Amino acid sequence: MALIDLIEESVVRAPLKASGKEDAIRELVDVLVAAGKITDAQTVLRAVLDREAKGSTGLAEGIAVPHGKTAAARELTIAIGVSPDGIEFGSLDGQPARLFFLILAPPDQTGPHIEALAEIARMSRSKAFCTSLVACRNPAELVHMFKDE
Amino acid sequence: MTRPIRKIMVYVDGSEQSITAAQYAIVLAKALGAELCALYVVDTRALAELVKSRIFLEAEQDEYRRDLDGDASRYLNHVRELARRKGVPVSTEKSSGAVHVEIKAKVTELGIDLLVLGEISQIRSRRDELYNETERAMRNAQCPVLVAKGEDKIWDLYEALE
Repeated sequence: MALIDLIEESVVRAPLKASGKEDAIRELVDVLVAAGKITDAQTVLRAVLDREAKGSTGLAEGIAVPHGKTAAARELTIAIGVSPDGIEFGSLDGQPARLFFLILAPPDQTGPHIEALAEIARMSRSKAFCTSLVACRNPAELVHMFKDE
Repeated sequence: MTRPIRKIMVYVDGSEQSITAAQYAIVLAKALGAELCALYVVDTRALAELVKSRIFLEAEQDEYRRDLDGDASRYLNHVRELARRKGVPVSTEKSSGAVHVEIKAKVTELGIDLLVLGEISQIRSRRDELYNETERAMRNAQCPVLVAKGEDKIWDLYEALE
């Protein structure tokens, strides 16, 4: 399944209210609960934070890709967050993260999980596209940006 | 006249679409008296890309690689079982690397006459077209390619097979 097929307004938070790393992840997890994509927020949060504890998923250029493999996700799931002011995420380049992709998948969907992450890795190389996403003021704009790409 | 399709290969990636493709390949192999081969490719290129981009840690890459190896066995076993139920012999191949490159190589190596692929996700952008592995396999394979669409019809054909 293509990444684009997973993106809908209900899984986007723009702008994020959080100002810290853990709160940002928690806010995105809550977005997925509200969208009916996951039920056990605590298990998901623990999986994602455990992964972050091993090494930050904050990349360069203000992008962060927190992710986790957990049975609490029934299928491959994504939440996207935008923080125009940026959030300290322990990123590679020391810059605050502004664009967040939370990716979750159950343990038996490794292939699609990797495909989705690889798609984000490729997308993150397009600075212009990522800048456009960060400029989105609401979920509808961001979804439109993806679908219209 | 020589039979045009003697060797069929179906690419299985674990998606529902690829399982539908496997069912159709079984139907075709039986109808045509062709040999059938199922291929799964462990996408190590994507794994390497994730480490390079720092999304994955090295240890994470190893863990996901093991998961993918497990997926390969599980899905190829599933195709074997689907074929066994219909009395169709099937050989299986597991490979690793870039998916479209491996598919192309196996088509040549095994002398495949027809490659069967699952339905391709809707291509919404030039980027999709460049990176969708099934799309790339379809364009690059050096043999006729059949895209198995119509899940319900294929299911009926498979079920009706004696």
